Amino acid sequence: MSLALLADGALVLLVLGLAFWVNAAASGFAAVVGYVAFGLLLALAWMRLAAGDVALTEAAVGSGATGAVLVAAAMRLRAAADPPPSWPGVSRPSTPNRRSADGRDTPGHDGGGDDLAPPAPYSDSHRDVPGHDEGGKPGLSLRLAALVLSGLVTAGLAGLVLWTAGPAPSLAEAATRHLPGLGMGNAVTGVLIAYRALDTLLEKVVLLLALGGVWSLTRDRVWGGRPFPRAIPAGNGALILLARLLPPIGIVVAVYVLWVGATDPGGAFQGGAILTAMWILVMLAGLRDAPPIGSRRLRLAVAAGPAAFLAVGLAGFVLPTGFLSYPESIAKPLIIAVEAVLTLSIALILGLLVAGPAERPPDPAERLR
Amino acid sequence: MPEFLLLAATVILLMVAVGLVRILRGPADVDRLMAVQLLGTGGIAALLLLGIATSLPGAVDVALVLALLAAFAAVIFVTSLDSP
Repeated sequence: MSLALLADGALVLLVLGLAFWVNAAASGFAAVVGYVAFGLLLALAWMRLAAGDVALTEAAVGSGATGAVLVAAAMRLRAAADPPPSWPGVSRPSTPNRRSADGRDTPGHDGGGDDLAPPAPYSDSHRDVPGHDEGGKPGLSLRLAALVLSGLVTAGLAGLVLWTAGPAPSLAEAATRHLPGLGMGNAVTGVLIAYRALDTLLEKVVLLLALGGVWSLTRDRVWGGRPFPRAIPAGNGALILLARLLPPIGIVVAVYVLWVGATDPGGAFQGGAILTAMWILVMLAGLRDAPPIGSRRLRLAVAAGPAAFLAVGLAGFVLPTGFLSYPESIAKPLIIAVEAVLTLSIALILGLLVAGPAERPPDPAERLR
Repeated sequence: MPEFLLLAATVILLMVAVGLVRILRGPADVDRLMAVQLLGTGGIAALLLLGIATSLPGAVDVALVLALLAAFAAVIFVTSLDSP
């Protein structure tokens, strides 16, 4: 037992040390690299706490989707902090025709093509925020206050857990008692898809809202177009080889994770996150371009998962007992079907979240579709 | 036998911690990337050892997903270093 304690101690020290360092890191890119490593250690820690579902989510989302988002953000911030000399827009051809056709000349925008230019360096816009110094970073007192506050929250939570009398109240027994009726062995999936189905449904709707939020950052000029500033050219040989080799394996693993979610750690979200990673890999290698966000088929596919969940839930009104309840004889096939559709929708939504708002104007033919 | 596996997992974690120095100090971004890749491999090994030693359900699945996406994370970092 003491050996297990030793391994756990090493893990805790690693997690804490890396967490401190990520906060103190000098550059954004270094912090992102540290954060991805932190996610991996965190997956290990969740595993030691016997929370396999959380560990799997952390592994799939942490090293897949969020890593890509954070790297893109770090790169963009770095580019904005020290713009290359060609950026201030002087060398670009001005486009007065387009602007007059738009008829929307905003004050403060005097150049013809200046909404093509990147925004001003971020440090400028932060300079007036109270408590922040010249570089836009929080001052020492603010940081100390944040440290003390988060320390107090941690200590309070630890106190609540450690010094309450008797074992904590648990619904685990009640949750596992009815699982065989659903054909489920994994209590977490059972809770997500049966007991608290409404919460799960609303989570998917929140994902849709998040996608709407990202898309709303699109400029009017390129609305309905494709993400990424330009079509990614087909990369070098190694990347293309990987992008052809890895996705088949990834798809099999994603289907496996979805299927095994009925009895073991796994499920729709984890499977979807793996599919997302494979899709992004194909896009990054330049094998397939990102879809235009105005495409109707794309939007139908994005909405299909929550819609299917909702349809099955509403059918519960007509058939057995009420909203979001399953007839017991076909509970398992129904749950698997809903999860399969949800997986595809989640993969699509996460991939589009990573790709970001449209940055290229749509083709005229695509605009009509 | 579980004791031996736990000891091996601890040793691997400590070795990985040595590799963390490269993430912390750099000096170049490439050094950090390589250190994270090392951490990924070591983390998967430690996870498998811990999972077998304490018979955690699903440890092999988590290790499988981590191994699958380790290559993906490397691609993300490398292409982002290439592109700007």
